[in-house]
Amino acid sequence: MNEATILYFIAVVFVVLVIYWVSIAVSLIYRKRRTSRLQKIETTFADIVSRYLYNDPKNPMTLTDITRTLRDVGIKAQNKNNIQYLIRLMIRTQRTIVGSNFDKLQKLYTQIPPYGVSIKKISSWSWYRKARGIREIYEMNQSQYFDEIFKYRNDRNIYVRREAQIALVVFLGWESLRFLPYLKRNMTLWQQIKIVEKLYDLYPTPELKWLHRAYRTDKLFAIKLLMRIIRKYELHAEIGYIVDHLNHENYEVRETAIYCIQTFAVSSSTMEYIKNLYDDIPDATQQGQLLYYIYENSDIDLDFYLRQLYGDNEDLKLSIAEILWNNGYKEKVQEFYYQQYPNSVLNVG
Amino acid sequence: MWDSAEGFFGSYYIYWISVFLFIGYGASLLTLYLSGILLARRSIKRTKQRSIFLRAEDIVSATDIPSVTVIAPAYNEGLTIIENVKSLLSIQYPYYELILVNDGSKDDSLQKLIEEFDLEQQDATFITQPIPTASVNHIYKSRKKKYTHLTVIDKNNGGKADSINAGVNFATTELVIFTDVDCIIEQDAILKMVRPYLEEDDKEIIGCGGGIGIANDSIIKNGILTELRLPERLVPMNQVVEYIRAFLLGRMAWSEVNGLMLISGAFGMYPRKRVIDVGGFNPNTVGEDLELCIRLRKFMEEKKIPYKVVYLPETLCWTEAPSDYNILIRQRDRWARGLWETISLHKDLFLNRKYRKMGLLYYPYWLFFEFGAPIVEFMGVICIIAFGLLGWINWPFAILLFFAAYLVGCVFSTIAIFMYVKSFDHYTKPKQIVELLLAAYLEPFYYHPLLLFGQIKGYYKKLFDITSGWGNMTRKGFKVNKS
Repeated sequence: MNEATILYFIAVVFVVLVIYWVSIAVSLIYRKRRTSRLQKIETTFADIVSRYLYNDPKNPMTLTDITRTLRDVGIKAQNKNNIQYLIRLMIRTQRTIVGSNFDKLQKLYTQIPPYGVSIKKISSWSWYRKARGIREIYEMNQSQYFDEIFKYRNDRNIYVRREAQIALVVFLGWESLRFLPYLKRNMTLWQQIKIVEKLYDLYPTPELKWLHRAYRTDKLFAIKLLMRIIRKYELHAEIGYIVDHLNHENYEVRETAIYCIQTFAVSSSTMEYIKNLYDDIPDATQQGQLLYYIYENSDIDLDFYLRQLYGDNEDLKLSIAEILWNNGYKEKVQEFYYQQYPNSVLNVG
Repeated sequence: MWDSAEGFFGSYYIYWISVFLFIGYGASLLTLYLSGILLARRSIKRTKQRSIFLRAEDIVSATDIPSVTVIAPAYNEGLTIIENVKSLLSIQYPYYELILVNDGSKDDSLQKLIEEFDLEQQDATFITQPIPTASVNHIYKSRKKKYTHLTVIDKNNGGKADSINAGVNFATTELVIFTDVDCIIEQDAILKMVRPYLEEDDKEIIGCGGGIGIANDSIIKNGILTELRLPERLVPMNQVVEYIRAFLLGRMAWSEVNGLMLISGAFGMYPRKRVIDVGGFNPNTVGEDLELCIRLRKFMEEKKIPYKVVYLPETLCWTEAPSDYNILIRQRDRWARGLWETISLHKDLFLNRKYRKMGLLYYPYWLFFEFGAPIVEFMGVICIIAFGLLGWINWPFAILLFFAAYLVGCVFSTIAIFMYVKSFDHYTKPKQIVELLLAAYLEPFYYHPLLLFGQIKGYYKKLFDITSGWGNMTRKGFKVNKS
């Protein structure tokens, strides 16, 4: 290595530096222009929607006017980012409108550009575009593409299969639960939450026959999902399904069961059954959560609490002592703690 | 073999060993940084794409999302405690608790809190303490309805780690966030932080960190950062660039390969269960955040449970950086001691196949390039002085080499700033960008020697067993706009 090599290296590094300076400048300018363009599209779209929904008979807005106005603000086939932004606006607007205006808006969406953009995305090799396409289809309620989406319910990519499964719920409602035992891949917590939310929003009346069919599943994620559905719809008659999973061998299933049972008040016989399951729970924190539920939802059962106090679970003894102490059994708590120490240590007797 | 220092430095072997050591070390570092840029770019892109499918506004309206407790320890923060707690209370999340741990403050912090939030004492007889801590004196809850999610734990002094452990003991939520009481947390920070937990698939998320930004001289109103400004002084300005580089390039790159060994103590989220499993923070080290993350990873490796430690590129927490060089040196001295302690506590990881990539790759990286960098740099300075005095240095060549290394450093800083500008809209004015770039280019002459001095000072203290604690971190305070 000599000075000439170093000088050459310096020149190369300096060029790279200059390229990044230019990139920063371009990025700043692009951001400024893009922000103003997006604002323009948003304002124009808001104007179009309001004029379309509340059309002025003296100055009616025709579809040709709408298409031309959108084109003027940059909604053209070659401007994919602008089209994507418009789709986002369309979905956002649709979410906030209900009743007859919602139907009117759906009709408008079928008549204005962009046309068939979402379904084209589904055939893309990129998971990101594919998942976005599926999402847009179910958000815009384009049920004609259901068959296309259905095949992605077990896709390898988590986002693609999640959106496809949500689409299933959106288009089929409670009936979609019949596919639950046949799903092959795991379902994340958010996937479960989203499915429950969509089901509740779009199909508020429970159809228990589909729920009962889904009970056949042995998939852990499906069990958790079913318990969440029971909780969300407050299906008191189905509490047994949650109770049966309180002592499940899987930590997360137990966690979901304990979380879901807290929504319900149960009969005294069910509470007795829950107390019997209590000892089978292998995790102290979860036992603590269930203990709190038992305490809040039933009368003080001295035998049960004393059994726990004198049992092996050291982690929960303080909580049990607190319950007994605050419910008139101070002497039982004192008795328990005193008997742990020999009389000589206590300096009594 | 060598009868004098001149003989030692003048030795043919020493000369060539040093040359190859420094060139090899520099080249390895350069390769790692370049790979880091590529990985960080990919990681940022993927995080952004994923966030499209899980927006903060969707999470806020959902039920069944995990509950979160923010734990903030406070020691003698009386001057700003009320503003700080109000800021933490204003965070948006549906199932959110705030636990403030008063770590035996000698000032009037507790009294101020009692008065401002109308706190009443709760019975603390039956508190379960899965993690042993200094004794808790009292628990306080607010009588005011709007502050029902606030709990104050008053305990005897035990240090930051001990206070956080007390908070973990008392928390009942699935997830816990550790922060400093004087941090300004973005309103939607928790909504963003829970994303990885909601999307947890086959690998358990054992830790999640978010970007931390410097907010010196920025405007704070009602506990919210309303106007982000660049610091007026050079030392904190340099830290803005340093943080951008560290969080956007370093942490995001390691996150992409699941190699993160550190989640900053200023803002990190963990599952409470796992923190308890490993016995909480270690109160015997000043690098407790790094130590906890490594211990958690070790625990998961030993149990053979698949896991992930993730980082979010967005700046979710704003902090006040040391504003003068004295405080900066004290801070880096402490960080260096923390690193030393953690590296030696977990030396069994080194090239240990039982811990897979963590033992074979990530720990050696920390040992050689995080812990070793100041030592190599210090040795470099000594060698330059010694070889210079001996007349062994070809100065024109050395100056060119130095300039080349300087330019490479400038390129890395510029790339970090470019990626930040492209991804986020915190600094959008050309003047701000120019100031950031200038600060980055001045860094090697002014700021970096201070860091090196602080780090070497920390190592020196450890080497010669000089006892030193956290050190006094005097802060100027944010600019608060009360109107």
